[in-house]
Amino acid sequence: MQQSSWQGIKLVFRKELVVGLRFKAAWAAMLMFSLTTLACVSMALQGGTLEPRLLAALLWVILFFASLAGADRVFADEDTAGTLLALRIYGPSQAVLMGKMLYTFFLMVALAAFITPLFVLLLDVTVTAPGLLTVALLLGCGGIAAAGTLIAALTTGASVHGGLFSILMLPVILPVFLPAISLSAAAFGGGDSAGSYLVGMGLYDLILAVGASLLFDYLWYED
Amino acid sequence: MVTIRFEEVIQRFHGRTIFGPIQAELASGRIVAVTGQNGSGKSTLLKLAAHLLLPTAGRVVVMADGRELVGDSLRRRLAMVTPELRFYPRLTARGNMDFLLGLRGRALDETAYQALLERVGLREKEIGTAFAGEFSTGMRQRLKLAVLLASGADIWLLDEPGANLDAAGRKLILREARQAADEGRLVCWATNDEREEAAADAAIKLAGH
Amino acid sequence: MKLKQGNYLLAGIGLLTVVLLYLVFWVVPPAQGLGNYVRIAFFHIPVAWVSVLAFLMSAGWGAGYLRRRDMRFDALSAASARFGLIFVVLATVSGAVFSKLTWGAYWNWDPRQTTIFVLLLIYGAYLTLRAVMPEPTRRARVSAVYALFSFLTVPFLVFIIPRLFFSLHPSPVINGSGSVAMEPVMLATLLVGLLDATLIYAWLVRKSVSGRDKEVLA
Repeated sequence: MQQSSWQGIKLVFRKELVVGLRFKAAWAAMLMFSLTTLACVSMALQGGTLEPRLLAALLWVILFFASLAGADRVFADEDTAGTLLALRIYGPSQAVLMGKMLYTFFLMVALAAFITPLFVLLLDVTVTAPGLLTVALLLGCGGIAAAGTLIAALTTGASVHGGLFSILMLPVILPVFLPAISLSAAAFGGGDSAGSYLVGMGLYDLILAVGASLLFDYLWYED
Repeated sequence: MVTIRFEEVIQRFHGRTIFGPIQAELASGRIVAVTGQNGSGKSTLLKLAAHLLLPTAGRVVVMADGRELVGDSLRRRLAMVTPELRFYPRLTARGNMDFLLGLRGRALDETAYQALLERVGLREKEIGTAFAGEFSTGMRQRLKLAVLLASGADIWLLDEPGANLDAAGRKLILREARQAADEGRLVCWATNDEREEAAADAAIKLAGH
Repeated sequence: MKLKQGNYLLAGIGLLTVVLLYLVFWVVPPAQGLGNYVRIAFFHIPVAWVSVLAFLMSAGWGAGYLRRRDMRFDALSAASARFGLIFVVLATVSGAVFSKLTWGAYWNWDPRQTTIFVLLLIYGAYLTLRAVMPEPTRRARVSAVYALFSFLTVPFLVFIIPRLFFSLHPSPVINGSGSVAMEPVMLATLLVGLLDATLIYAWLVRKSVSGRDKEVLA
C-alpha cells in the first residue's frame, strides 16, 4: 500500500512536469510576473536603499503574487482541458494531491531560485545570513504549495476565477507569510530573528499539508 | 459479484428535475442499457453510478461480495468511456495509458501494449509519436476503449460508446462488452443506438421530464 | 409551536438587552485611566467573542455537512458566517474607536487587531467562495472544506501572533494564572453582555435557517 501510493505520487509529479515543460504557459506567466514586478520596484526606487524589513516584505509580496499566477493552475488547467474527469476516475485522491503538491513546491522553489538572486542584485541587498534566507524561502514555498494545492482544487467549478485564488489563499497563508518576512529581514541584517519562527513555520507547513490531505478526499470522492 | 442499486434516486439541476425517483439494480454478468431522449439524464445516471456526482435525493449503493464500495475502493474497480473524458493533449497515447493505468498500479509492457492497440484497431505507425491532442475523434474513442480494457475494471460505465466510430468500431464495442459481461463484469451503457439497445440484457428507460 | 419558542427567545433577548444597557450606563463605574470609554468594552468584547464563536460554529457545521451530506448543515454554516461577518465588522469598528479614544490611533496591528483582521479576511473569503459557486451541492462541499481549512490558522492566531507583535490590549479577563482581575460588577456586566450577544447570534442564525426551510417547502 505504502509502496503503491508513493508510486502514484511519482507518476502524478512526473506527468505534471512533462506537461508543464511541454506547455510553458504556467512557467512563463509566473516567471514573467515576478520579473515585471521586480523591475517595477527596482526602477521606482532608482537605486535608493531600503530597510531590511521593507526589503523582506517586498521579496515576499513578489513571491506570493507570482506564485498565484502559477500555483492556481494545477487543477484549473486540467479542468479547462477536460482531463480532470480522467484523473478523477483513475487517480487515487492522495496520489493526486501529493503529486500536485510536490510539483507546486518544485515550481515555487524554481521561482524563488530565479527571482531571489535577481532581487539581491537589482536592489543591492546585503545578505548577512544566506543559510537562514534559504531555509525561510524553502519553508515559505512549502506552505504555499501545501495550501495552494488544496485551494486550487476548491476553486475548480467556480463561475468567477479572477482573484478568487488569492482571496482564499491570503488568510490561510498569512501564518507562513509573516514569520517568513521576519526571518528574511533578519537574513538581510535587520535584527535577529528567533529560531522558533523556523520551527513554527515548519510546523504550520506540516499542519497545512496534513489538513489538505484529510480534506481533499471530500473534494475527490462524492459519497 | 458486483451490484449497483439505485434507491429512490432523484436528480435535479438548478431546480429542474432531470429524473426520478428511480429504483433499479444493475448486476455483474449483464449488460444494461440506459435509454431515453437527449436531456433525459442518461449521462447523469452513469455519473451517479460512478459516485462522481451525489444524487439530490436517494442513494446509489455499490456492493461487492456483501461489502459496500465507496471512495477509492469503488474507483479502483471502475472504468468509464464517456464523451467528456479527455486525454492529456500533450502526452502520447502511450504516455496517457502509462499514466492513467500506472495510477491503478498496472504496468503495460511492450507486447501487451501492441496487442492492445491491435485489439482496439489502432495502428502504432499512426499514433506512435503523435500527441493525443492530434488524434481524430474516432482514434480517441478507440484509445478510451484501450484504457478501459487494460484497466481490468469490473464495472464498465459506457456513455454512447459507439459514437464517432465506424461500423467495425461499433461491432468491436458490442463484442468486447459481451465478452466482459460473460467474464462476470458489470456493463452499463447509455445509448440511443438501436443495435446497442438490442444487444443489452435489460434496459432502464428514462422518460424525461 | 416553533415560532412561539422563537418569540420567547426574542422576548428574553429584549429583556436581557434592557438589563445590559441599564448595567452599562448606570451601574458600572468609570474605570481607572479609561474613564467612561470603558463602556465601549461591554459592547466590543461580546461582539468580538461572537465573531470567533460564529467562525467556530461555521466550521463545525461544515464538518457536519461533510459527515452527513445534509443541506441543513450547509445552511447553518452559511448563516453563521453571514452573521459572523457582521459581528466581526462591528468588533473591528468598535475596537478601532476604542483604540483611538484611549491609545490615540485607530489601528496599530496589535495582536488582537491582527487576529480580528485575519478573521475578517476569512469571513470575506468564505462568503466570496459561496457567491461564485453556482451548483448548490458543490458549493456546500467546497465551502465546508474551506471553513475547516481556514480553521487551521487558529493555533497561529492564538499562539504565534502574540509573540510577533507587542500588545496594548489589557491582559485577558481571565489571565494565565486563572485569577479574575476585574471588579465583580464589571465582570457581571460583561457576562450579561456575552450571554446577550450569544443569544442574539443564535436567534439570528435560527431565524434565517427556519425561513429557508419554508422556501424549500413552498
